[in-house]
Amino acid sequence: MSKTAKDHAGLAADFNKDPERVSWHDETLWWVRAKRDKAAQGIPEWEALRETASGIKAHTLSNLSAYLEAFEKAAIANGAIVHWAADAAEHNEIVLSLLRKAKADRMMKSKSMLTEECHLNDFLKARGVETIDTDLGERIVQLLDEPPSHIVLPAIHRKKEEIGVLFHKHLDTPEGSADPQLLTHAARLNLRDVFLTRNVALTGVNFAIAETGEFVVCTNEGNADMGAHLADIHIAAMGIEKLIPKREHLGFFLRLLTRSATGQPITTYSSHFKKPRAGQELHIILVDNGRSVQLGREDFRSSLKCIRCGACMNTCPVYRRSGGHSYHTAVAGPIGSILAPNLDMEKYADLPFASTLCGSCTNVCPVKIDIHEQLYKWRQVIVKNGYSGKLKTASMKGMAFVLSKPRVFNFSGKAGRWVLKHAPFIVNNALNPWYKQRDMPEPPAESFHQWYSKNRGKRS
Amino acid sequence: MSSSRDNILKAVAANQPELLPLPQLPQFAAYFDIPLLKFRDVLEGIGATVLSVSGYADIRNHLATHFDLTKPVYSTIAALPEFALRPGSYSRPQDLHNVELIILPAEFGVAENGAVWITDEALPERALPFIPEHLAVVIAEDAILANMHEAYLQIGQRDYGWAAFIAGPSKTADIEQSLVLGAHGPRSMTVFLLKMSGSNPDPS
Repeated sequence: MSKTAKDHAGLAADFNKDPERVSWHDETLWWVRAKRDKAAQGIPEWEALRETASGIKAHTLSNLSAYLEAFEKAAIANGAIVHWAADAAEHNEIVLSLLRKAKADRMMKSKSMLTEECHLNDFLKARGVETIDTDLGERIVQLLDEPPSHIVLPAIHRKKEEIGVLFHKHLDTPEGSADPQLLTHAARLNLRDVFLTRNVALTGVNFAIAETGEFVVCTNEGNADMGAHLADIHIAAMGIEKLIPKREHLGFFLRLLTRSATGQPITTYSSHFKKPRAGQELHIILVDNGRSVQLGREDFRSSLKCIRCGACMNTCPVYRRSGGHSYHTAVAGPIGSILAPNLDMEKYADLPFASTLCGSCTNVCPVKIDIHEQLYKWRQVIVKNGYSGKLKTASMKGMAFVLSKPRVFNFSGKAGRWVLKHAPFIVNNALNPWYKQRDMPEPPAESFHQWYSKNRGKRS
Repeated sequence: MSSSRDNILKAVAANQPELLPLPQLPQFAAYFDIPLLKFRDVLEGIGATVLSVSGYADIRNHLATHFDLTKPVYSTIAALPEFALRPGSYSRPQDLHNVELIILPAEFGVAENGAVWITDEALPERALPFIPEHLAVVIAEDAILANMHEAYLQIGQRDYGWAAFIAGPSKTADIEQSLVLGAHGPRSMTVFLLKMSGSNPDPS
């Protein structure tokens, strides 16, 4: 996805070249996290909601094949046309074939992280189809020729002045204007024309209901509805993990989703699509793209419970200071770092290491995914499979050797203390990234072991 | 039957764990005293205007003083026949793009989040709640439920083509997290809480 071969640390270093932007990004996301806390703490049954939602998802994943078949059957009975895509390539081909059949070379699309994962826009562009993203944040990053940096707040890494310059160029707003009200209004007028003239609308899916064959799409802007209700063809693209068994289960998930995401009590629009409207075609694409493999990984299976609220990103001390693009994958942050290695362990080997393992992500997750524990487990899988990079693998093997031999450990401690005291440049140099913005403490004169033997050991 | 379908189902069936039970769904009582007051507070907090009215005369008065009724204004409520959207007055939903105001009935509201429930059963076009500059909703005061669990209990197994919870005007905060009302849908939402005896407004 990234044009460079830089890893998370390298891309984070790029983001950190502008300290003011980093501070702003950090504080803004923390403010969103604080809004989430306020909303969650306002609901006495919050923990019971999380527990129940997590349990519903665990049950669904354990019976997913049956629920997929039930959903398909109900959706077909509702008049929808159901497609199955094994991977991103097949998903993209299905969308293209629907566009070709409709003789459409233009499409409007509301927010869908799945189509980001599949790189649909680039695929269609190369085949002569223009896609317009209608979510304001997504439209901004599309005009910037960048991927979204956050699954809920796609343009959170950009300042209003930059968007002012962008809109002056593309939407003819007054030069130098950076007023969010004015810029949003310009986008409204411009995209209104898109809504009225495009014939095919693609939307994502937040939840799909096995028993009724309907699906729910949540937006604040109303862009998914504007597209779907005006176009003759509505394509809904969803990962197979979006299923929940029953309509009544929505009560739990809709209470959790937006409070966790932005602190709102609910999105402005929670639209339930069951049947195509008269004269309209409704297509649902069920996409696997690695999800069935992840389902088989016992340690990482529960990552498929994710409802894409973004709370783990907003709270993550690494994400807030490294920016979404540093993760070089469609879904950034802690959850993205446990999803991406499943798709390509070598390419995303750096991501599980882009964490302090502080556990804040796990604490805010509305479906109780043990995110930080999975990050830790991925590190072990990645090292075992030889994808952790030569330097890291060698130092970890060295560490394992030292820790398994008490005499070597004692000697290493002595040597380390000597080096830090007498020759700190041996470790504090450009080759050791630990020393970036850090200094080591004064080395103690003796090890804990030596201190214990001297002071306590004899008394016992 | 595509082969991908069979392959995906086979892979999922092979990889899914032993069946785990569906959890018992807990029941939650309202954590506030008066649902109607909570509904009003939450809706106002998310940018809607909420008005208690005792009849359609009040609604007409408010509309006349707050909206430009010389522009296209439509309603699907039988008690507001002057705004009836006549079939044949438009051919495609796109033709409704210059509508100033739509006044719709809502079946019920949800106190905890300020959302109102609207279905296409009484809606000639699904685009109607989204395409106008302004949206107004009429809802019976005694049709406010406490939370989303009560809402789905009320919805039950009802059949509809499309339905939505709508909570406030269309909005975005995609530019530096600054809240702007009026993204792609209505720039304002007015909710009339109808005190009349009897209950919900009849659709025409």
